Amino acid sequence: MTVSSRFDTDGGRVFGLRTDLIEQFIGTVNRDLKAKLGVVIVTLFVIAAIFAPELAPYDPMAQDFAPLQAPALSSETPLGTDSFGRDLLSRLMYGARISLGVGLGAVLFGAISGVLLGLIAGFYGGWIDDLLMRGVDVMWAFPWLLIAIMLVAVFGQGVWNVIVAVGFAYIDDFARITRGEVLSIREEEYVLAAESVGLGDLEIVFEEVFPNTVAPIIVQFTVLVARAMLAEATLSFLGLGVKPSTPTWGALLGQGRDFITTAWWISILPGVLIMITVLGINLFGDALRDAFDVREVDSE
Amino acid sequence: MGLRQYLLKRLVHSVFVMLFVVTVVFFAVRSIPGDPARLMLGGDADPEALEALRAELGLNEPLYVQYFQWLRRLLTGDFGESIRTGEPVLGSLVQVAGPTLSIAMLGMVIALVIAIPTGIVSSVKRYEIEDYLSTTIAFFGISMPAFWIGIVLILVVGVNVDAIPTFGYTPINEGVGPWLRSILLPAIAVGFPYGGILMRMMRSSMLEVLNEDYMRTARAKGLTSNLVLFKHGLQNALIPVVTLAGIFLAVVLGGVVAVEIVFGIRGIGRLLIGSINRRDFPLIQGTVLIVSFVFVLANIVVDLLYTMINPRIKYGGGE
Repeated sequence: MTVSSRFDTDGGRVFGLRTDLIEQFIGTVNRDLKAKLGVVIVTLFVIAAIFAPELAPYDPMAQDFAPLQAPALSSETPLGTDSFGRDLLSRLMYGARISLGVGLGAVLFGAISGVLLGLIAGFYGGWIDDLLMRGVDVMWAFPWLLIAIMLVAVFGQGVWNVIVAVGFAYIDDFARITRGEVLSIREEEYVLAAESVGLGDLEIVFEEVFPNTVAPIIVQFTVLVARAMLAEATLSFLGLGVKPSTPTWGALLGQGRDFITTAWWISILPGVLIMITVLGINLFGDALRDAFDVREVDSE
Repeated sequence: MGLRQYLLKRLVHSVFVMLFVVTVVFFAVRSIPGDPARLMLGGDADPEALEALRAELGLNEPLYVQYFQWLRRLLTGDFGESIRTGEPVLGSLVQVAGPTLSIAMLGMVIALVIAIPTGIVSSVKRYEIEDYLSTTIAFFGISMPAFWIGIVLILVVGVNVDAIPTFGYTPINEGVGPWLRSILLPAIAVGFPYGGILMRMMRSSMLEVLNEDYMRTARAKGLTSNLVLFKHGLQNALIPVVTLAGIFLAVVLGGVVAVEIVFGIRGIGRLLIGSINRRDFPLIQGTVLIVSFVFVLANIVVDLLYTMINPRIKYGGGE
């Protein structure tokens, strides 16, 4: 693996990521149909989520459509209405905001906490490493959905609580990956060089060590966003997600379940959207993995 | 490190994991807003009755006293009683464990039986139609929530095939056939995502092994491909898969909770969600605790399998 730092002259960086890796990613996307599909799906999803207020045809909470459970492809409401006569397309678009927000938020929470732990453990080694990694090991043998269900049950529903509840489960993934990366570059010349010229620990960790751990972390981040979205959908479905009145894909799916034989689209459409989006993010993640040449995650 | 030492170390570690779980669960559950005594007696209960009930449930003691009392009782196998029904937690759990375990087991079997062979075929026939087909299906598997697969199955199979029920659970002592039919759809829903994960791991692990020197040497020696594949390749390729298979059991576990709701099956998942809605502290604690315990135990078993597959492994030496 080539590295770059102030003590090394190759390549530039964008957000800490080496530009040659970005070029490799673009190369992968050009070559690989699946990668292209992933990029397209992710782009559409992000646009729908960000611009939902502008793009949605109706207010997602408005109940003024006379036909309840109108089927899809009717003239005014392209994807039909739910059991309260609310426009399903608009609700799904607003639901994308929650999926994206919670997905990104949860993984960000896990990433920030985990990367910090991993950097500290890997950089200092010794008893600090032992202590932190034993703690992380304990988290490993913990069924994630139980944590999430319990935390939401305890702290109540709401976006932030769901983000923390879901993200908690990802701290150990990031800690382990970051630590492994740090250990593998800890003795590299440019880190030793930085130490020898008297840079402080913090400076070395954030300017020399961290940037060179970015690639595998980004790959893991992407994969976990997909998993976090599934987790959010599951929590919402169980009635333990964001507030019940908020349209989310999981909650819409749950509400539609009672009408499965009379109005199947209410729960099938959100499910299809979840599937396509998660599929797209997974394809995107695979393309990143190929481009960055990161091995599939191993436990240790 | 010898096997016994290694197992001892794992057991000690597991005790710490369990202690952590116990502590987190206890304090988390106790910070749920709402007074269980008031919930049980209703909003207009008279204060004296409320007070008496709180005393009876031990809710007036300081938190740490309640914690240690609970720990001590746990050690003697007493998981407390449900605040709602007064039944012992362990008993209530045992009652509903049947359906949950049945679904989880059958789901795992389905996942393994499908994922391991397809993973191998996929790696051997890399970039051929078999590979594309199975990786695509696996991709769908890891991209769908289990409960939604359940809903689709109800809509597609359940409605059209009368022999397969879409609601409820038939215990095994009422006949193996009816039992299997009642858990078939839920098990597929739970097993599909797990199978997707396993298949992908099997494929990438096998691909890596196929490129190893010893595999090339074996082929160069003139051994036929299939023999090489199974004798030398499979054993080594299975190692990472088995390790991670244990960790991803959590996927099955998480799936079962929501899938039980979809199929109206009274299992551990429904018990847990119900006990959260009713603020039944001991029941929530007991459920999370026992499920975590089973999970930790499953991981130890997986660890043992791991050492059996590869006798050369050095216990606890890997970093």
